[in-house]
Amino acid sequence: MCVAVLAAGCGKSSRASGGKIVVAVDVPVTGSPYVAENVRHGVALAAQNLNSGGGILVGSRTYQLVPKLYDNHLSARQAVEDTRRALDAGAVAIVTDGTGLDATWQLANRDHVPIAITYDGGTGLVDPVKRPNVFRIAPTNHGIAFRYAEYLIPKGLKIGLLHDDSAYGQEGAADLEHAFSENPRSVALRMTLPAGATDLSAQILRARRTGATALLVWGQPSTIAAVLTAARSIGWKVPVYSSPTGADPFIRQQLADHPSWVDGLTFAGGRLTAEVGTGPFESFASQYQSAYGADKVGVKTSGGRPVIQPPELAMYAYDFTHVLVAALTRAGSLDATKILVAMNEVSTQGANGDERGFNRNSHEGVVDDDVYFARFHDMTYAPVKDDPLSSTLPVIPQTP
Amino acid sequence: MSALAQTAGELRHAVEDARGSWSRVAWGLAGAVVLAALLPPLSLPGVRIDSLADTLYLAVAATGLGLTVGAAGLPSLGAGAFVAIGAFTSSLLVARSGWPLEPAVLAGAAAALVAGLISGGIVRLRAAFFAAGTWLIAWLVWLFLLAFPSVSGGSQGLILPQRTLFGLDATPTVHFEVALALLVLTALAIAAVRRAAPGLELSALRQSPRLATSLGVRLGRRRLGAYAASAFVAGLAGALSVQLAAVADPAAYDPFLSFKLLVAVLLGGAAATLGPAAGVAALGLIGLVAHPLARLLQLPLDRFDTAVAAILLVFVLALGGAGIVPWLEPSLRRFRKPPRPRPQVTGSSEEGGVRAVGESVLQAVELRKVFGGVIALDGLSLQLARGETVALVGPNGSGKTTALRLISGAEPPDSGRVLFEGRTLTDEPTPDRVRLGVARTLQATSYFPELTALQSVLVGRSVRRRYGGAIRTALATPNARREALTSEAAALGALALVGLEEVADVPAPELTTSQRRLVALAAGLASEPDLLLVDELAAGAGTEELERIAHVLARIRERGVAVLLVEHSLRLVRLAADRVLVLAAGRPVAEGSVAEVAASDVVRQTYLGTQRL
Repeated sequence: MCVAVLAAGCGKSSRASGGKIVVAVDVPVTGSPYVAENVRHGVALAAQNLNSGGGILVGSRTYQLVPKLYDNHLSARQAVEDTRRALDAGAVAIVTDGTGLDATWQLANRDHVPIAITYDGGTGLVDPVKRPNVFRIAPTNHGIAFRYAEYLIPKGLKIGLLHDDSAYGQEGAADLEHAFSENPRSVALRMTLPAGATDLSAQILRARRTGATALLVWGQPSTIAAVLTAARSIGWKVPVYSSPTGADPFIRQQLADHPSWVDGLTFAGGRLTAEVGTGPFESFASQYQSAYGADKVGVKTSGGRPVIQPPELAMYAYDFTHVLVAALTRAGSLDATKILVAMNEVSTQGANGDERGFNRNSHEGVVDDDVYFARFHDMTYAPVKDDPLSSTLPVIPQTP
Repeated sequence: MSALAQTAGELRHAVEDARGSWSRVAWGLAGAVVLAALLPPLSLPGVRIDSLADTLYLAVAATGLGLTVGAAGLPSLGAGAFVAIGAFTSSLLVARSGWPLEPAVLAGAAAALVAGLISGGIVRLRAAFFAAGTWLIAWLVWLFLLAFPSVSGGSQGLILPQRTLFGLDATPTVHFEVALALLVLTALAIAAVRRAAPGLELSALRQSPRLATSLGVRLGRRRLGAYAASAFVAGLAGALSVQLAAVADPAAYDPFLSFKLLVAVLLGGAAATLGPAAGVAALGLIGLVAHPLARLLQLPLDRFDTAVAAILLVFVLALGGAGIVPWLEPSLRRFRKPPRPRPQVTGSSEEGGVRAVGESVLQAVELRKVFGGVIALDGLSLQLARGETVALVGPNGSGKTTALRLISGAEPPDSGRVLFEGRTLTDEPTPDRVRLGVARTLQATSYFPELTALQSVLVGRSVRRRYGGAIRTALATPNARREALTSEAAALGALALVGLEEVADVPAPELTTSQRRLVALAAGLASEPDLLLVDELAAGAGTEELERIAHVLARIRERGVAVLLVEHSLRLVRLAADRVLVLAAGRPVAEGSVAEVAASDVVRQTYLGTQRL
């Protein structure tokens, strides 16, 4: 029985040593494959570039960067287990979508291992004082919510604030509530939707009866698809705004038979280009496509051209990996404490040309002003023209 | 002698006893535990301590469940619900109320215990309904967690802050050592309980609830005890394992957890204390093979686990349902020590001694019982004095057995009263009557197929135990240990009284029919009755056997025990009875000495015919 119990605990690999540095990537491979693939490929692309350039110089030794993938299934409990495995594997950092971070950061912090969030914008996840090992390169919910308030309230809309009951939806709802609290008359209703439900007709009819003239939906991609389906199938052409999940290919795949239902969907995201223009991001996207192929959405434009998803999330993971490597080089050793200190002292140029870095007071890699709005038309999206911070941004090509 | 010195002495005796009785298997297991405890500091490559600790906690819950499934024979499909209750209670206290870990864990276990007691009414149901009932409990708890995200933390669950456990950082290593210690303690406690009186009673209830109840075993209380104890252990395991996981995630407590625990118990062997833990280990091993296969086939792991567990369950049931450890037991038997020699006991050493003869013990007044439209008994009145043997005779269907059932409490009378030593018993249940001194043997040749003769008699002795409760037994208190010895001596005495001391260790199925009847009589005697209700003891017995039974009845009578003998064998009646009461169509038709009844015309017409009494 002892042998069996021993066997049940197998799985730990020996601590990284010699010429390899492990970076753990803990993402929902099953649960949210789009997010997972993007983050995973972003780290892998950075590692590939760095390794092919001779490796990473830490002190007097050169190391190869090795990404190690874990699947958290969108489960906090699994994320804890993955974090333990990553720490046992000697990972110098953990890149995650944000699943289970409230539990995992403590485990990593005990070993002074930095964790980078590249997707979840939840308020409270990042706090340089209480959570010194947590960093984020992704738009924050707080920033998105306030940008939405600035954008929508002047339009005089009566907004229906909808969110699903997933952790993501509830976190976003809290920030929306805060952002719209100073102008309560602009809010027609607040409603919680069941995450994963495919038929939201009853809820959408209720929203219509309250007199809402716009819907702002914060939730999983499936929730946004269900809201669009319910609204459009009853002929309600209400403008729909959404959380960054609105860009998820899942929504377009679900509504592929009704492309017009996607038209007009507006989502918030972190801008992909910088003041220097589209060049850096297009170069990054080109590298990405060379390495992993284009992220095909699985739908076509009305002209029959296949739609490609720009590697936004991959960019964040790619940028964090470069910041980490800069910190390793600055620390000059693999000592976790020194690496964590160095994380607050370095910055690099990101894939879109923006500067990425952290300091003791801010562990956010995307500032709130970097949030922009994009609107779908013909299965591709472009920055909106009625928001000053979005209207000047170029359109990222989404067809070959 | 001070209490401290007395306690130290008792502990020394207990250790000596344990050492003396340890077999090579026991020493091997102890060595394995010590080796396992040394695992974390060894930092073996490929061994994950957190996974091991989690597996051990699951083994603790399964070992607790073994008490319900194995000992009590109740197929519980709801153990996962108690794990969840323990987990979420402790999590809420730690995460929301800031409790330290230790009291929160105890509160989690207590909550599971309370939930077990509240839902315990289902223990009286038949096995299939019990399984369905517990399965519903598993679903209800899970659906509650899903429906109330404010309690369960929703899809992400409750995130638990890091706490210390016994003053140490609650690292996976600390959890591993705690889980190992808990598993050892749970297994030892359950092994002690299963070997001792509570285990025997549970086993007897599982094998023949009717016979066990007739011997005074309280079905509801004993089963509820096992079920609640399993719930407590499951809650304890859940409360600790959730702290290891650092997240109380409702998804981890779906009904499949209950199913997995039951499969582990059946796979490892419900009949053996270590079977459930072995089952958990086997499931872990199978998972090591199955998970890569699932990944290869691109199947979801959770569904694949369910499928593998279901296939294993079918496999185990198809092979007889014994499980791994019972299958291994024959090969381990040669490493076991032979049983300790027993002190020689003679019939005269039986407890209780001789009672005063002559005073009235039983008075039945105008007993009446109707089943549907059939009058089974109508106006039966009788009296028995100490040391008196009264035979109740009559044709089939005359109401003899019904009379015994009414007097023993197996059935309530429609009217009439039963007085025992001047006290009205009419509303007392059977176990209480046995405790007061009314014992009964059953008509059919019922026996406990998995018990030896001595164990069967010990079941009858259970009503006389004062310190034989599960907790005292598990803690092996001096009183409990002493009482176990005296109980065994009394049971051996009862066997000696019926002349069967030499077959004490023979399994009941290997006894002859006649011996089984006498064992049943000894089981009744072991409860030290003042009144013994004997139902057709001599059915099918030969001449020699009848004389032997008559001799046994005479010895019982000499001890001042009143015997009410329902019998078809007129020869035994003539040999053993002081008085005879004849029933016909539920009504008494004659009463008197053997000679008086034999001479009665009414008796000849209604019962004897051409036979002679």
